[in-house]
Amino acid sequence: MRARLICCLPLLVFTFASSTAYGQFHDPTKEELAMTSDPKAPDAAAVYLDYEEKTDDPLHYYSVYARIKVLAEKGKELATVNIPYLRGETKINDIHGRTIHPDGTVVPLEGKPADLLQSKSGDEQIGKRVFTLPSVTVGSILEYEYQIDYDDNIYSSPQWWIQQPYFVHHAQYSFMPFPAFQKGNAAMTSRYLEDPKTERVLNHMMWAQLLPSGVKMVNDAQGRFTLELTDVPAIPREEHMPPIQSTLYRVLFYYTWAASEGDYWTEEAKSWSKEVDHFAEPSDAVKKAVAGIVAPTDSDLVKAQKLYAAVQALDNTDFSREKGKEELKVLGLRQAKRAEDTWTQKSGSKEDIARLYLAMLRAAGIPAYAMKVVNRNRGVLDPTYLNFGQLDDEIVLATIAGKEMDLDPGEKMCPFGTLDWIHAGTGGIRQDEKGVGLTFTPELKYADNTTLRTADVYLDAQGQVKARVTYVMTGQNAMGWRQTALIYGKEEMQKRFDRMLQEAMPGGVEAHVDHFLGLDDPGTNLLAIVNAEGALGAATEKRLLLPGFFFEARGHVDFVNEVKRQTPVDMLYPDRVVDQVTYHLPDGVSVEGAPKNDQILWPHRALLTVKVAQTPGQVVVTRDFAQGFTAVKADEYADLRGFYQKVGASDQQAMVLVTTAEQKGN
Amino acid sequence: MEQGSGVRDQESGKARVVFHPALCCVVAAMMACCALPAPAHEKSMPMPDWAVNAAKTATPDDAKNAPAVILLDEYLITVDAQNHAVERERYAVRILTPQGRDYAHCTAYYDTDEKLHYFHAWTLGADGKQFQAKDEDFADQGLAESEVLQSTARLRTLNPPGADPGAVVACETETELRPYMDEETWAFQAPVPVVSEALELALPPGGHFADSWRGYPAIKPEETTDSHLRWEIHDMPALDLENVRSAPAWGALAARMSVMWGDMAVHGTAAQWRELGLWQAALEEHRADPTPEIAAKAKELTAGVPDFYAKLERITDYIQKNVRYFVIETGVGGWQAHWAADIYRNGYGDCKDKTTLLIAMLDAVGIRAYYLHVDTRRGVIDPDAPSLMGNHMITAIEIPAGVNDPRLVARVKMAQDPEGKTSPEDNESKDLLIFDPTDEWTPVGLIRSELQGAYGNISDGENSQVLRMPVLPPAAGGITRVGKFTLGVDGGISGEIDESRVGDAAERERAEIKYSDAHEIHDAMEQSLSGDLPELDFKGYEFSSVGDLEKPLGLTVKLAAANYAHPAGPLLLLRPRIVGSHVHAVPDVMAGRKRSYPIVLGAPGTWRDSFEIALPAGYTVDDAPEPVKMDVGFASYQSSVTARDGVLHYESEYVVRDVQIPAADAADFRRLELAILKNEKSSVVLKKQTIADSGQGPGK
Repeated sequence: MRARLICCLPLLVFTFASSTAYGQFHDPTKEELAMTSDPKAPDAAAVYLDYEEKTDDPLHYYSVYARIKVLAEKGKELATVNIPYLRGETKINDIHGRTIHPDGTVVPLEGKPADLLQSKSGDEQIGKRVFTLPSVTVGSILEYEYQIDYDDNIYSSPQWWIQQPYFVHHAQYSFMPFPAFQKGNAAMTSRYLEDPKTERVLNHMMWAQLLPSGVKMVNDAQGRFTLELTDVPAIPREEHMPPIQSTLYRVLFYYTWAASEGDYWTEEAKSWSKEVDHFAEPSDAVKKAVAGIVAPTDSDLVKAQKLYAAVQALDNTDFSREKGKEELKVLGLRQAKRAEDTWTQKSGSKEDIARLYLAMLRAAGIPAYAMKVVNRNRGVLDPTYLNFGQLDDEIVLATIAGKEMDLDPGEKMCPFGTLDWIHAGTGGIRQDEKGVGLTFTPELKYADNTTLRTADVYLDAQGQVKARVTYVMTGQNAMGWRQTALIYGKEEMQKRFDRMLQEAMPGGVEAHVDHFLGLDDPGTNLLAIVNAEGALGAATEKRLLLPGFFFEARGHVDFVNEVKRQTPVDMLYPDRVVDQVTYHLPDGVSVEGAPKNDQILWPHRALLTVKVAQTPGQVVVTRDFAQGFTAVKADEYADLRGFYQKVGASDQQAMVLVTTAEQKGN
Repeated sequence: MEQGSGVRDQESGKARVVFHPALCCVVAAMMACCALPAPAHEKSMPMPDWAVNAAKTATPDDAKNAPAVILLDEYLITVDAQNHAVERERYAVRILTPQGRDYAHCTAYYDTDEKLHYFHAWTLGADGKQFQAKDEDFADQGLAESEVLQSTARLRTLNPPGADPGAVVACETETELRPYMDEETWAFQAPVPVVSEALELALPPGGHFADSWRGYPAIKPEETTDSHLRWEIHDMPALDLENVRSAPAWGALAARMSVMWGDMAVHGTAAQWRELGLWQAALEEHRADPTPEIAAKAKELTAGVPDFYAKLERITDYIQKNVRYFVIETGVGGWQAHWAADIYRNGYGDCKDKTTLLIAMLDAVGIRAYYLHVDTRRGVIDPDAPSLMGNHMITAIEIPAGVNDPRLVARVKMAQDPEGKTSPEDNESKDLLIFDPTDEWTPVGLIRSELQGAYGNISDGENSQVLRMPVLPPAAGGITRVGKFTLGVDGGISGEIDESRVGDAAERERAEIKYSDAHEIHDAMEQSLSGDLPELDFKGYEFSSVGDLEKPLGLTVKLAAANYAHPAGPLLLLRPRIVGSHVHAVPDVMAGRKRSYPIVLGAPGTWRDSFEIALPAGYTVDDAPEPVKMDVGFASYQSSVTARDGVLHYESEYVVRDVQIPAADAADFRRLELAILKNEKSSVVLKKQTIADSGQGPGK
């Protein structure tokens, strides 16, 4: 009999209980009943006293048991439990629960929990069971368990995400795989698994894990995997975190055909590479298209640029709209199988377009390879997790004038010669002249992502200003706005830019975009011309006070809130913001005090430079902030915070103006 | 939380045949998976003539900057002899920008008692190519998205083929309306222009109807055949509030019409409100009857209390603290409460349930109370346009004659004769206290600002009527803040602030405390303070009287901040307003542009700040902002800075007397806001005292 692998089962299930429910409920201790706070989780609104997940493939069930102490109002949210499940192949048979008040009174869960539709698309229906425990008060202990039974031919691959939103005192996980995958049973039985895509037999069960130091998973003589932990910290919540799943404790089981990490990546990469080369073959049709775009006399660089512009101009359905099968049929189009299909149809997914570019480069005689990378906004490559699904997008590596360039043709509006930040500094597999292998893309440089903000601020004696402001953006900063215009339309993009301006302008000053330049051309700087006016200054009896830094007057400073840090700080990409503000003073007014020339340095990481130049009737304040890093480790956080605090203090400096007569009087 | 009666609501920007989510929330149900509607398996159908004709409509000039234009939106409601109705909608939209695709994702709500008969859709591309939506283009989802909601209601959404700018997407749906409701609301205004709209009502022979209009002159229907009526509207302008700050809720401004049939179809505004109240009363009949357990609990809670207020306080406090918000609704459960006994036993329920249990408990101790159907979006319920529009249920409590407790602030008089035939002085009967038992943080006697000045429909049998809830006086809300600080010679500051919050200011903070853990509260407070004090060193905070709603919420904050005062040459600049702001940014008003909509002020209240800042030795005040004193009627602001004996005193008082002002008051609003803004930004200039200038400076 052929069994099917249902990998999604664990993803749909969070918590469950067995049919012998009440027998497994624990009587709380006096200490647990009396508990009003938890020294191990001092600020927590609730803590898990116990949490248990069991998966048993021979008996076809998955169960969850939880015992929770509610310590504050917010903790009552844990009284409501949602259990998503795949309709048709899984069934929730038993749900039991009870609330135990601090005085020991037990209020059982009664009634049948609702069975609701969560979503339905095509033939797949995801349902959910929902229950809420009764009579919950602060101080209550919530206890519940449920069990999901699944069909005989479902193999589960549990994914144990060990950290919860709340601290866990004691957690226990177990997984009993089918006998074929139990210890000593590596030989095939009458049951086996097959990869539905490649039809390869999956005869190895493996797992990827990240566990606290000293914690080990046990595989016992019966083949059961168990994991027991105490004092599991809650999921961290911090500003500028890397993709959260990459930081969490976990054990992810999966089935594979490969016996080792090396075998897996080599074979999968070869298979992927073959598929890419097939799609990106420089066929006659592709060569003909290339010949129509480039001139034989063009240098390789010019050829690569022209071809890049040509594929970027195609309809990229990841940025416009993916067409359904029926629509393609009506339009006489088909799912692209080869690069020429994408070219002929003038439309394709970002992957199709990246492969078309690859084919065109090859047709033009430029050595070029594909690389499939992890989207850094979503995850971090874990080579020990033998799952090709970790990799998201394809980029192109072209050798031009002896130097390899990383190119991102599938990312609409990405300038030639750079990568979207989601594809920079990330892992993936690549082709090269020797074959295929795992590697990383380079990180971006701050000089590639710049914003120059200039303002000519005309001030009157009452502190009212009119200002002509320009934003000149390159790299990621420009690409983001261009993609917004593409996806949502220029009007909507302008509205969003206005909202951004409102956050950036000093209180009392209104700013609106007049127009953009270079919005459609990723090869140029993006310019925004902005008009601003309002009340900038605050008058005292004798003076007029202005913010020293027009664009930083709001006073927002990153990293003031967290004194300590658990996870790395991820700033997405390095960048540089240069502000040049010219204050034009009204007649009879002079400067009594202005920001100081200054330099604040965090060696090899970031630098703030302030320069102030005064001439009669005007002051020019230049602020240059270069953030030269993408991410820093948690142990560097104190340095990072110290630097940003100094920057915040510098940004608070004011400009003091005084009437010339007043100054003379002093 | 949005809802109406049978509203076709275009607020979201999508064509919607909206079902009426139930009161208080969403819809939910305790039942096994209801069958999905007949599987779509769309047969091949050419684009119908109505859609082809609609697609020929030219884009009007006023739609040039809109993301989409609705070319046609027509409804046909067919009512049978049992007053059960089926509704068909035909909708055609032209997409003008990528953003305009949102208007082409047609949706249809359905539920256990609102079956979706069919949902077809077509697209006519800008190049003339036609597409028909197939099964793969539809997706269904349950509406029980919230953690506190169980609902059987579902939504089918179209992802139309060929939906690119220039294309016209046409959809046709047919849905059974809920059998227990004899009303639909036609929301004929959208955030984009609408070229042509119609509502047809096909009544059974001899059937009758009533209609009420809001924000649009009433139109007489054309009677096409016997009992078949048609209302038509052309060229409806867009109502786009996306970039309008401090505007009333969209639904409070949008034009609409409600049509009733069957028993609901009575004429005259007062009569219609009465009918709606009677409908609600019938739905809740006996639901709020106190069981012996409920009565015993109510008596236990009120045993030995000295007065009416204390009696109320004990019972309302019990419900606020012991009935958790959790919604279980199926079908009529969107409108009908659970039985009081079940609510009491489970310790959870929605707004109708909490009101039901409160009515039952009050009844047990001899206090009469009523269901009051309201909307938390002030202005959605319009006294001149009776309908079942509303999203929330609260309680109106009868105050016995002679009770004049000053703590009972949210009082309103109910008319004896809602039709107003008697003189006003003779037309007041019951004295009512408005109270929201779902609001766990506002004490009995007050209501939060979103209810103030809004209307609700009280269900009191033949005396059912629409009521305006009171706007509370400024003393009922706000914050008093007292701070003592010491400024260092390096510009660093340290000190302590004591706050006392009442009304909305307390309610919001108490809600925050409930929904956050200590870590989150700390972070939020630190984030907020660091806006004023960038180099904040947050030393800690302590709340008092969190659970005691009768008392103001207390908060003590300890803090320090390096470089708070900034050197500028020989001077030290110190902003005396150390924390907080009363600036209410409304960009279009502040830029002096014409305002078309009322300005929502927020909560009435009084905010007083009194800060003392000990100056570093040797420093004196060289320059200080001028005092400000301004009163514009709906609000006032005053502020002053003085210095004495090396201590700077900053005092400010901001008073708001209304919840909303008309657009005509925009100039006064701007004047006030500019004064506040300038004052809050202003700094005191400190100067190191030398022998030469000893004795100078204001306030000495």
